[in-house]
Amino acid sequence: MHEEKIKRLHRMKKMAELGGGEDKIEAQHSKGKLTARERIDLLLDEGSFLEIDKYVTHRSDDPHAEKYYGDGVITGFGTVNGRQVFLYVYDFTILGGSLGEMAGKKVVKLMDHAIKAGAPLIGIIDSGGARIQEGVLSLDGYGDIFYRNTLASGLVPQITAMIGPCAGGAVYSPAMTDFVIMVENVGQMFVTGPEVVKEVLSQEVSFEELGGAKAHATKSGVAHFVAKNEYECMDKIKKLLSFMPQNNTEEPPILDTIDEPNRIDANLVNILPENPYEQYDIRQILTSIVDNGDFLEVHELFAENILVGFARMGGRPIGVVANQPMYLAGALDINSSNKAARFIRFCDAYNIPVVTLVDTPGYLPGTDQEHNGIIRHGSKLLFAYCEATVPKITCIIGKAYGGAYIAMGSKNLRADFNYAWPTAEIAVLGPEAAITIIHRRTLKQSTDAVATKKKLAKEFRDKFANPYIAAEKGIIDAVIDPMETRPMIIRALEALANKVETRPWKKHGNINL
Amino acid sequence: MVKKINSILISNRGEIALRVIRACKEIGIKSIAVYSDEDVRSIHVKKADEAYHIGPAAASESYLAMDKIIDTANRVGAEAIHPGYGFLSENESFAEACEKKGIIFIGPNSEALEITGDKMKCKAVMKKAKVPSVPGSDGIIDDVEEAADVAHTIGYPVLLKSAFGGGGRGIRLANNEKELRKEFEMVSTESKAAFGKSALFIEKYLDRIRHIEFQLIRDSFGNTRHLFERECSIQRRHQKLIEMSPSPVVDQKTRNNVGEIAKRAADAVEYLNAGTAEFLRDHEGNFYFIEINSRLQVEHPVTELVTGVDLVKMQIAIAQDEEIPFKQDELKMHGCAIECRINAEDPFYEFSPSVGAVPDCSIPYGPGIRVDTYLYPGCTVSGYYDSLVAKLIAWGSDFEEARKRTRNGLYEFTIEGINTTIPLYKTIVDEENFIKGELSTDYIDRFNLMDKMHELTKKQASMKSSAAIAAILLQLEFAKTGGPSFQFHKAKPYSNWKRSQVNR
Amino acid sequence: MEFIVGDTNEAINAEIVHSLGKDSILIKINGKEHSIKLLKSARDEFEFILDNSFHHAKILRSTTAELVVLIDGQSLQVKRHSKLTEVLEKSLSLGKVAVSQNNLTSQIPGRVVSVVANIGTSVKKGDSVVILESMKMQLGVKAHKDGTIKEMKVQQGSTVARNDIIATIE
Repeated sequence: MHEEKIKRLHRMKKMAELGGGEDKIEAQHSKGKLTARERIDLLLDEGSFLEIDKYVTHRSDDPHAEKYYGDGVITGFGTVNGRQVFLYVYDFTILGGSLGEMAGKKVVKLMDHAIKAGAPLIGIIDSGGARIQEGVLSLDGYGDIFYRNTLASGLVPQITAMIGPCAGGAVYSPAMTDFVIMVENVGQMFVTGPEVVKEVLSQEVSFEELGGAKAHATKSGVAHFVAKNEYECMDKIKKLLSFMPQNNTEEPPILDTIDEPNRIDANLVNILPENPYEQYDIRQILTSIVDNGDFLEVHELFAENILVGFARMGGRPIGVVANQPMYLAGALDINSSNKAARFIRFCDAYNIPVVTLVDTPGYLPGTDQEHNGIIRHGSKLLFAYCEATVPKITCIIGKAYGGAYIAMGSKNLRADFNYAWPTAEIAVLGPEAAITIIHRRTLKQSTDAVATKKKLAKEFRDKFANPYIAAEKGIIDAVIDPMETRPMIIRALEALANKVETRPWKKHGNINL
Repeated sequence: MVKKINSILISNRGEIALRVIRACKEIGIKSIAVYSDEDVRSIHVKKADEAYHIGPAAASESYLAMDKIIDTANRVGAEAIHPGYGFLSENESFAEACEKKGIIFIGPNSEALEITGDKMKCKAVMKKAKVPSVPGSDGIIDDVEEAADVAHTIGYPVLLKSAFGGGGRGIRLANNEKELRKEFEMVSTESKAAFGKSALFIEKYLDRIRHIEFQLIRDSFGNTRHLFERECSIQRRHQKLIEMSPSPVVDQKTRNNVGEIAKRAADAVEYLNAGTAEFLRDHEGNFYFIEINSRLQVEHPVTELVTGVDLVKMQIAIAQDEEIPFKQDELKMHGCAIECRINAEDPFYEFSPSVGAVPDCSIPYGPGIRVDTYLYPGCTVSGYYDSLVAKLIAWGSDFEEARKRTRNGLYEFTIEGINTTIPLYKTIVDEENFIKGELSTDYIDRFNLMDKMHELTKKQASMKSSAAIAAILLQLEFAKTGGPSFQFHKAKPYSNWKRSQVNR
Repeated sequence: MEFIVGDTNEAINAEIVHSLGKDSILIKINGKEHSIKLLKSARDEFEFILDNSFHHAKILRSTTAELVVLIDGQSLQVKRHSKLTEVLEKSLSLGKVAVSQNNLTSQIPGRVVSVVANIGTSVKKGDSVVILESMKMQLGVKAHKDGTIKEMKVQQGSTVARNDIIATIE
């Protein structure tokens, strides 16, 4: 009886799913890029996608402006490994994925749903930017999206994948989300493109150099992850999600990892090189203590002197912050302070405990750091630790001097448990620097300054550079055998599982941005 | 005078440690295990009567740390040490140290070890005893020039061997002078790494040879017996893969003759306890002595199954100064046994080592099946030690029965989490030349076993593809509908404690 | 859905037709229907009967484009989305291949015992670049092409995993 109507629905559906048409799909494929619908198939569980606003078109009166169902963005929801997520995926085959009024409304509607439903928001960007023909209405769309990004921030996790261009103001949306993944040679982000740069500054630079995945992963820190291809991008999104809760009222999911919580590793006893000035890779310690050596590093190529990322211990997701002695001896600087501070704030927002491993000689000196504001940026790290009310466990492995000692999750920043290895050196300054100040006169009067300095430095090290002085004062809760690092941290995490810390109400603090 | 041993410390790990522990349990001797950090959850630690930690993972600081082991033995009152195979089993300093500290070393005495351990000295002794050897350099080669000279004299191709090698390590082939020079360096380094010392000699490389060895035992009264031959020709890079007894090309007359030569070799070095005389047999049927392996060997189960003699218990008896309880002609061979050495290596990827957790494994059993292994569901295969994880030994009343049982065993053997060489053995066991007994040390290359393995695997894959796809579809279906046992990543809401105190 | 199993190059079309209750489903493989009765399931492990044959399967690895299934003791690699892979390879050929062609990767996991060729050394295909040690075996990682070592990514004592980049050769 109503077959005709059903047939019409099927025809409409088919047409909508062709996006900009067969030839546009061909063009997308010939560039080595997948279409929006293909990407959704890769990310979501088979058959779980429910699309909304499939037949939305733009409202322009211009008869020459062709209408496309969907208007360049696909929105809907589905499951990733069984977990509910909300998606907005730009469709490059329709008007270059540009955002017009109605497309903007679609995304905003979807984001509102995600906030109300308390489920993660995932965006896949492949867009030419604002739709010039629609003028200020496009900008209006972006503005509303930015607003929703801000509203959602701290309520539901937001992950954005850049699998295509994203230029102009549009880049601010991903920038405000929690994690940005860029696909190598495909994803590009910049506020002003190479043509304008050439025109205004006479500077020649390629798309890739200016705003490709490598540039943003290593230099600007805009990209948290680089994926070699679209498959890896989807795998990264799925892996990331597995460490987070659905929203900020839930605990992150505990998985039954087979790794024994009481596993001790005697290799850790001698893992630090004999010479305290020798570099080593903190990852070796990290992969030993986390479950199955499985560590998802965030911002791997940015500010390499500090390591942040997700792992599990005893099945519980944790956020790891660790100095990396292999780069800049593990010193703190502007970029590493920013990197760690943002990461800690994300973990705090989503109930993910923070585990800190410390081996840092202090802050990087120099006019470059000072004039670019290490004072401001460094304070963010302190602020983030203090502000966080998730369980915080710190383990001092090696050096912990001065302000950097305080900044790396010290007791005063209200870390819950502070452990130290017997090799920990907690001091205001490193031995060499300290004795040049304390024994200035002795050194001046000495006949062999070099030998005296060495002797005094050794005395200083033996007397002060150990964790026991701090332990005597209760600033370190326990000096532990390196073998037992893993069980000690896991037990602490279990004890703190229901930790609650309340603070007097305020609208928000004034972190020194 | 029999000196009864009441406790044995096993200075080894893995399947051989478990083997010795089992023998101890049979006799009623206290078994003492030692373990490194890597092996804290190993089965030999679980099964021994007592177990002591001796150091970090690295072998040099644990299983090769002589003083630590002897200290532990003294401290816990171990009367004897069984060194297993590999590690310190052929180290004369270790045997000497045991003797000095009053601990019985279950194996030859340090003098015999010194001779058998030094291939050059051994060759000299054998020459005197009129035991025929492989043509080669008369002594250690000091430098690469001397090596080139000897090689030139006896003719290429030649084998570069470490005088302190064993178990196939420290052996390289050189087809011409250029290769000889290149390999000289590498063998030297490998030898130092594995045995702490390097000293190279050269032997002529014989073609289409079979590796046939004779199991020997000799007691403190000078009674020598051979327990027949094992054919170990199927090898890869001089590591044995499959061993069997009897050898398809050894008839009773040859067996008797070469057996006598083997006994002569044992007598010549005044050997004590269990050992093996290794021979190469060329395609004309000539046997050349290579060396005596002065330890219990990996492949000892093969001999145990066809003779009915428990070699480990025999070792302990000899160490207790007991006399061997049977005469040579009282020993009979019964049936056929085949052993497959299962290594944690990926045969599809250049036999690259495969380490890690073994979440589950299923070990075959049934008539005529014996598996010596340290695997159990939930164990770990470490990258610090060698790659042998299991030995599948099948016995049958004849070769065919043994072969079929080996086949069944291989197909029933599943090991998760690591790659193993089982697919290669599955190919060999049905390969026509293997069935015909047409074996040689170049068997694998000669008959293109690697290609055959790929074909077999492909065929088996297509038989399983529907089931594999069915499994994948199942997972997708249940992930979607969130079936009860499908707790993928289930998040939990706040606890009530938190909920009651957090302002929203 | 389409799958490619193991080394074969033929695509197999498979889909779930419908669920027959809480432990049975009907599937179609290359047009032929099969019924599966599920006997036991855990997170990645299943025991089921497919057309009167009993099977035990464990999904060892599951990424977007590739799965590794241990089916009745045999490990099988199953690829998905092969048509999409064809598309992606177009971009991979646009400059990505050049990069990966320079990468010398390790075929085995192990510890670096010595670095034989340093930055600037010219090597020929087959020359050992580093020596790795694993399971008491020493193996050389050999240069995959002629060229000069541009970057050395490891040092003596480093641990490498399979497919890790050891060096780049240009």
